[in-house]
Amino acid sequence: MKTTKNIVLISLTLLAFLSCNDNEFLDVSPSAETPEQALSNPNAATELVNAVYNKLLDWNESSFSWIGVSSITSDDADKGSDPGDTGGDKNLLDDLNFSGTTISFNEVWEANYQGIARANQALKFLPDLEIDEALKTRLIGESKFLRALYYFRLARMFGGVPLIKGVPSIENQDDINVANTRATKEEVYSFIIMDLEDAAASLPTHYGAANLGRATKGAALTMLAKVHMYLGTTADWQKVKDLTTEVMGLGYSLTPDYSHIWREIGENNEESIFEIQARGETPNKGVQGYFVCQGARGAGGWGWGFNTPTQDLANAYEANDTRRDATIIFRGETLWDGLLVANTVSNPMYNQKAYVSKTEETFNGNDWDSNKNIRILRYAEVLLMNAEAAIKVGGDAATPLNAVRHRAGLGDAPVVDLMAVWKERRLELAFEHDRYFDLVRQGRAGVVLRAHGKNFVDGKHELFPIPQAQIDLSKGLLTQNPGY
Amino acid sequence: MKTKIIYALLFVPFLIFAQERTISGKVTSSDGEPIPSVNVLIKNTSKGVVTDFDGNFSIAANQNDVLVFSYIGMKPKEIVVGLSDIINVKLEDSAESLEEVVVVGYGTVQKRDLTGSITSIKADDLAKQPALTAAQSLQGKASGVQIISSGAPGSTPVVRIRGIGTILGGRNPIYVVDGIITERIDNINSDDIVSMDILKDASSLAIYGSRAANGVIMVTTKSGKEGKIKVEASSYYGIKTVLSKVNMADASSYSNYSNIAFKYNRFSADPQYNTDWFDEITRTGSVMNHNISISGGTEKMAAFFSANYYEEEGILIGNDYRRMNLRNKVDYTISPKLKFGHNISLSLNRAIPKPYSAFTNAYKQSPLVPVRYTDGAYIGRWGVPFDDLGHQYNNVGNPVSQLELSNELTKNLVIQGNINAEYKIIDKLKFNTSFAIESGYGKSYAFNNALEAWLAVDPSRQVSAYPSEIPTTTFTQTKDEFYHWVYDAFLTYDDTFGENHNFKIVLGTTTEKGQKDKFKITMDNVPVNSDLFSLQNGDKGTEVLDYNDTKLDPEITLRSYFARVSYDFDHKYLITATIRRDGSSVFANKNKNWGNFPSVGLGWVLSKESFLENSTFINNLKLRASWGQLGNQNIPLNTLTFNSNLGYPLGSDQSINQGSTITTIIDKDVSWEETEEFDFGIEFAFLNNRLSGEIDYYNRLNNNAILPISLPNPFGTSEKTLTHAGEVRNKGFEFALNWKDKINENFNYSIGGNLTTNKNELEKITNQFAFEQQGGLIDNGAWTKKLSVGQPVGSFYLLEVLGMDENGDLIYNDRNNDNAITDDDRKFFGSYQPDLYYGVNIGFTYKNWDFNADGYGNAGSKVYNGKKAQRFGGENIEQSVASNIFSASNAENQNPAPSNEVPLSSTYFLESGDFFRINNISVGYTFPKIIDGIQKLRIYALAQNPIIFKSFSGFTPELPGDGDPTKTSGIELDAYPSVSSYLFGININF
Repeated sequence: MKTTKNIVLISLTLLAFLSCNDNEFLDVSPSAETPEQALSNPNAATELVNAVYNKLLDWNESSFSWIGVSSITSDDADKGSDPGDTGGDKNLLDDLNFSGTTISFNEVWEANYQGIARANQALKFLPDLEIDEALKTRLIGESKFLRALYYFRLARMFGGVPLIKGVPSIENQDDINVANTRATKEEVYSFIIMDLEDAAASLPTHYGAANLGRATKGAALTMLAKVHMYLGTTADWQKVKDLTTEVMGLGYSLTPDYSHIWREIGENNEESIFEIQARGETPNKGVQGYFVCQGARGAGGWGWGFNTPTQDLANAYEANDTRRDATIIFRGETLWDGLLVANTVSNPMYNQKAYVSKTEETFNGNDWDSNKNIRILRYAEVLLMNAEAAIKVGGDAATPLNAVRHRAGLGDAPVVDLMAVWKERRLELAFEHDRYFDLVRQGRAGVVLRAHGKNFVDGKHELFPIPQAQIDLSKGLLTQNPGY
Repeated sequence: MKTKIIYALLFVPFLIFAQERTISGKVTSSDGEPIPSVNVLIKNTSKGVVTDFDGNFSIAANQNDVLVFSYIGMKPKEIVVGLSDIINVKLEDSAESLEEVVVVGYGTVQKRDLTGSITSIKADDLAKQPALTAAQSLQGKASGVQIISSGAPGSTPVVRIRGIGTILGGRNPIYVVDGIITERIDNINSDDIVSMDILKDASSLAIYGSRAANGVIMVTTKSGKEGKIKVEASSYYGIKTVLSKVNMADASSYSNYSNIAFKYNRFSADPQYNTDWFDEITRTGSVMNHNISISGGTEKMAAFFSANYYEEEGILIGNDYRRMNLRNKVDYTISPKLKFGHNISLSLNRAIPKPYSAFTNAYKQSPLVPVRYTDGAYIGRWGVPFDDLGHQYNNVGNPVSQLELSNELTKNLVIQGNINAEYKIIDKLKFNTSFAIESGYGKSYAFNNALEAWLAVDPSRQVSAYPSEIPTTTFTQTKDEFYHWVYDAFLTYDDTFGENHNFKIVLGTTTEKGQKDKFKITMDNVPVNSDLFSLQNGDKGTEVLDYNDTKLDPEITLRSYFARVSYDFDHKYLITATIRRDGSSVFANKNKNWGNFPSVGLGWVLSKESFLENSTFINNLKLRASWGQLGNQNIPLNTLTFNSNLGYPLGSDQSINQGSTITTIIDKDVSWEETEEFDFGIEFAFLNNRLSGEIDYYNRLNNNAILPISLPNPFGTSEKTLTHAGEVRNKGFEFALNWKDKINENFNYSIGGNLTTNKNELEKITNQFAFEQQGGLIDNGAWTKKLSVGQPVGSFYLLEVLGMDENGDLIYNDRNNDNAITDDDRKFFGSYQPDLYYGVNIGFTYKNWDFNADGYGNAGSKVYNGKKAQRFGGENIEQSVASNIFSASNAENQNPAPSNEVPLSSTYFLESGDFFRINNISVGYTFPKIIDGIQKLRIYALAQNPIIFKSFSGFTPELPGDGDPTKTSGIELDAYPSVSSYLFGININF
């Protein structure tokens, strides 16, 4: 009987031996990096900021929906592609027949807030990381520049939007309220200006070869000028004038051949102020689908054929304007790389600024992640902003305006006035995602677009609709823009 | 002996009739096998012997004595000694199901003492429907268990026990094989299985706590038995054909339809080709299975060994599967107190997958397109066949070349093993422990011959013109591994107090750990020769790791304690209470990773009450009631991690600079989903046990189902946040009824059936950011389902078609009367989940013949004809659509006017999913004993799925998809057609 008792005891001990270290046993080490682990990496600070840039490469940030919203809506571009292929909603964008449920708005809304969230993550962690102070200052500057870029895109499209200045928490009702409430347009713009002023103060004018492509002081100043241009008071125009003048002293210059700007040989050249960097070889990292969604469609084509130049744009160029052929692919023409654009492609014209040569440029068969750098800010725009500001607040508008014209193979502008600058902006910056916002800013969107046959309603179409899905999600706290 | 003789002599004059003599004989089973260790007892004495190894016994007994023969699992038999010196006895299997032993968690219990709802399926029943995985053989046999099968080679059916209680959590039951918890059953040889016991209600399930919410299937494999060495061999071979084809438009009908749709005569009325694409991609499949087992044992040791080989050629050309299984199980009785055993099984399979989208492509490709160009090269590959004028026919690839160019192989090895011991501490208390480990290794490759595909597009293409920047081939290799171990230890105390107070207590603990790991690499320009399919032969530097498929999952650890107390009074009043306490590493919040899962079950055996005890009509009548709470810890991964795949090209060389940040927002408090269930049941047996059955009502509520919530976008997450946000209820009735009778010695028959009703509903949404998730995407931009309160999970949400207008266009119900047909006009039209499903079976034996038939069906389910709805324009249509088309002169026709528009998601494509299928019909013949040494020889012919009654116009109404109700389950898109098999088989026992 004694042995029996012992055995019972042993069994129970065996049962119990496991229990003493239960919580230790359940505390498994994670197999993917936790935030703590990731941040202990000496490169963590730089990586946090690289991830903010990375958002610029995403399909929903810089590609199909953004193309639709910023370009197809305008008089520069048609939907393109085959008549039956709407690209989801691109026909509605083309016809200015959209509503809050038009999906592209939700995509760009979501994308820019994702970019802002990444910048906020970086700005949350950076101050506490133990790294070289100069590097820290620069990285904070880069993050603020990018946050301003994302907010600027939102503000131009939607006006006042929820203003998220940090990393929100799901448990905090205040954070939820802020996310569901639109700040005023003025609040958003002053936040953007604050970020850009900080960035301009902390960013270098140049980078070494290893860091080429990061935001510079010039980029922050140019961006700041552009933001002031959109605010448009006299004081703002003075700022535009001063800021562009400052940038003009930083050593940028116009590339002699306009057609090189959007080619691989023109990447990060003397004219470039800020561009999205894309890599078209293994491992690929490009702006997702940017090239293929705008490539020629149909037999002999290489893409889906969206965002095609309008006849109106093609007709707007003066004779001998070299920009016409550099901007537009014509059906049947032979391109610079020797490619004959087959007559069987679906549309008469395509956007050449999205074209990647498969034979003369880096290309490895991956047409989703192509090598196409997207130029966001370049020196020609600085000159044109400077010219426009000079007209507004006084000064020499002709010199900067004519510099742009000369490079395009044209003579001096016969008349130097606002219309001349605006026309030059249209042709110089065609397909660079500015036209619609430019027209609204210039106060003539209704006139121009109605003349173009679009149903632009004054007081409504100056802003795009807040995505209905977001309004629903906020239980109606987000307010819709007028007219929608 | 001497004394006996003296006594005998002394009493001879007086007790002439009480004279003892030696009686001997042999005890055999009903199939003639000798049974060792049978107790042979002289009634009302303590005198007895046991049979030896060959079933022989001898005992001294008087002429008037009554010998009682008893053996576990057999009906006891009483025989009066009489005058003969030799008594041979045949014991029959205990027919009384009440004495059936049911496997429950950590022990067994007699069926009559059960307080929960458990369905037991024995090997004989499983054998009637031979299948690769035993889960398939359960179809139609158990109430409350829905098996949705796919006919694809090597596929595991979807198993749903009492409905779907979760949306994002794991939906599959767990299997407990010989006491060991595992998630898989497809590695188990069906021929090795003795019984499957399906635990259905919370009272039975709670002992498995946080693993149990989707049900548990207990699988018991065969063991060696004391006795002669038994060799059993079986084989079957058969062919497979498509059960129901869809009749597609022929070339001239297609031309006619398309010309109307295109509004000009694009195609000739007398086409050159008339390709039947379905015939081009299918063949008559075949299946073959060979099994051998050897078992036997002595008093001290028993062993079982089996080997199995299964091979299937699918109906889709090139689609093959084969599997080899081995099992070895040995049990030792080291001392009367100590037993020890080990069991190891190994399963090795090899599959050649082919894309099932070929079925959809064959459905859609135009009959005008020939398979090959005149020079023999395949036409097109991905939507590129052009007509003579250089126009595309449609967006559909050439399914024949799709199959031909698909070059994939997968191989898997799963090893499961355990060691176990049982020690009898005292008579009434025993200790069991086991350690089990399973481990799996899978690898696969996919080879893409881009050059060949490029050439296939156009016969005029020359190899020399192939774009140099595109690799000629790409090779993707995948490897995955897992391990999982379980350590169990528990005590069982079994005692009776007084006359009739029976107690049983189980107390134990279990510990588990497991991890999964995989990687996937793609490399360019690996040679075309399959012998060289290896990463070492690709172009160095082109390798790309697939970040989504390369990962080490976190370890999962579990620590549990469990207890069960059962008490009954005289097997009349029954109560069982269990509790399990589970700790799991899965949950991030360390304060919320322990949970308790209690249950209680009550039973009242009315037939043991005095007022029924002597009833000749009622043999058994039991009422049951149970309640319990269960968990589902199989929730989606929910950890806050750095997304480290956000690099950005920088520098003059645009090299990728690593980028990483946090892109998700998680709810750290996410824990298991909790299900609470009530069950009420009646069990009965009437008319001398000929009629028996069970009725259950169940009502189970998952009161914290995990749902994705959509935070306002300014939160900036790129993924949905998961949180407990919903309540899902399943309730219904289960009926099972069996009639079994014997007309005479030669003729036995049985008829049985079962029926289950289920009502599934998302009852509540409890989070402000939960949203009505759209689902059921059919890949042309259209969606068909929505998750909404008050509806079953996975409900179809569609436009309602009211009829056709004067142009033959569909008229949709403009429900909000805004003169526009938008998504706001959609409404709910039911779900794929059936209101009820049922199985019937009938069987009889006449002399040496046996016959069996099973049927299975469901009612109240809806299926969506996704392949028909997935049009972009220019695809083929069904003959019935092409031949009965609307025209102005004949508006009576039921089909809309031809169109090439992308169709709206509407009720036009929604059909009834009701069906009744003959699962199998078999006829067997067992040869009389002709040759010594052969114990049994049976041959049989069997037809599986020979007939289906359905109204659905597609290939099959059984559309499990990937099992996710919100995705394509219930939508026929890339679905494998139902397959009929015709088998011939043989069983030999030596």
